[in-house]
Amino acid sequence: MKIAIIDGSPKSKDSASSFFIKKLEPMISSENEISHYNISKKPLVSEQYQELCRMDALIFAFPLYIDAIPSHLFRMLATLEEYIKKECQKTIYVYAIINNGFYEGKQNHIAIKILQNWCMRTGLQFGQAIGQGAGEMMHFVEKVPLGHGPLKNLGENLNHLADTINSHNTGATIVFSPNFPRFAWKFNAVHFFWNQSAKKNGLRKKDILRRL
Amino acid sequence: MRILIHDLSPQEFTALGLTVDSDTTVISDNGTIKNCIGCFGCWIKTPGMCVIKDDYRNMGQLLSKCDELIIISSCLYGSYSPFVRNVLDRSISFLLPYFMHKNGETHHKNRYNNHFTLSVHFYGNDITEAERETAKELVAANSINFHCHENRVYFYHNLQSVKEELH
Repeated sequence: MKIAIIDGSPKSKDSASSFFIKKLEPMISSENEISHYNISKKPLVSEQYQELCRMDALIFAFPLYIDAIPSHLFRMLATLEEYIKKECQKTIYVYAIINNGFYEGKQNHIAIKILQNWCMRTGLQFGQAIGQGAGEMMHFVEKVPLGHGPLKNLGENLNHLADTINSHNTGATIVFSPNFPRFAWKFNAVHFFWNQSAKKNGLRKKDILRRL
Repeated sequence: MRILIHDLSPQEFTALGLTVDSDTTVISDNGTIKNCIGCFGCWIKTPGMCVIKDDYRNMGQLLSKCDELIIISSCLYGSYSPFVRNVLDRSISFLLPYFMHKNGETHHKNRYNNHFTLSVHFYGNDITEAERETAKELVAANSINFHCHENRVYFYHNLQSVKEELH
C-alpha cells in the first residue's frame, strides 16, 4: 500500500504534529511504502498533488486552529479536491491525527467533521481520525514511553489508528485528553510555557496582558 | 465599529451594493495575506499584535473595538473559505494565552472587555445538510472562543440572495 503522511503543522520544526507522526510511523507495517509531505514552508507543487492522487491512503497530522483546519492546510485540501476529481482512479482512504492546545481532545470534533465533509465532496473514503488535547504538552513528555503515564491514552489510540490503517479499513473517531490532571496541565502551561516563553523575550506578565 | 470580512472579488463585492459607512472596516483578500505560522509571537513577543508584517497583523486590535463581526464566506466542507479561515487564524491576538473554563471546556481568556455579535453569511449553491450542520457548530464554537455575546448563521444559494438579505 502506498501511504502519504502529510504534516499539516504550520511550524517548520518541533511541532506536536511531527511528534505524533514520529510515534505513529513505526506502527505502520513495513510492507507499506510511505512518502512524507510537509506544507509548512511552501505549498505543494503540481507533481506532488499528482503523487497524492496515486496513494492508497493519506494520513494528515495537524493542529486545531480556531476550532477548524489551519488555513494553509485547508487551501491544500481545496486544491487536492480538484486534482483528485480530475486524476484519481481509485478509492483513497483518509486518516487523521489532530491535536488542539486546550486540554480536552473533544474540541477537535468539528475539524474532524470538516475533514469528513471534504472526503464526501472529494469522493475519498474517510478512514478514521483521532484527536488529542494538550498538544503543546507533548514536547515536555516526549521521553516518556508511549502507552505509559501521560501518554497512556495516546499509545492506545495510536495503536487503534495504526491497526485501522494497516488493515486499510475504517474506524470510529476517538477524541481524548492526556493522562494528566487538567489543573496540573493548566498550571504548567501558564507558568512553564507561556510565562517562561515570554520571559525569554524580555517580557513580564503585565506585558503579556497589554491592551492596544 | 463593525468589521466585515469577506472572500469576494472586488467585482462581486461591488455588485452586492452594500453601503459601507465610516464605522465599518472591510477586510478583504488583497492577495498578500500570510499564513499564521504557529509561533505564538502575538502572545509572547509582541502581545496583542501578530509578528507577521502584512495588512492583517492588527486583527486582534480591530476586534477589540468591534460591536459586530460580519462574515460573508463561501461554505467549504462546512467551514469558511480558506481566506476567511486565514484571517481568523491571524486574529488570536484578540485573546490571551491564559485559560478559563466554560461549559466544562478550556478556552483562552479575553484580552479586552469587548464582546461582539458574530454574524456569518455562508453562500454556496450545493451546501449539503452535513456541511450546514458542521458550519453551525463551527460558528457556535468560534463564538465561544472569541467571547461573542451572540452568533447568527445564515445560508444562501448564491450572492444574489446574500444581497437581498443584507439590503
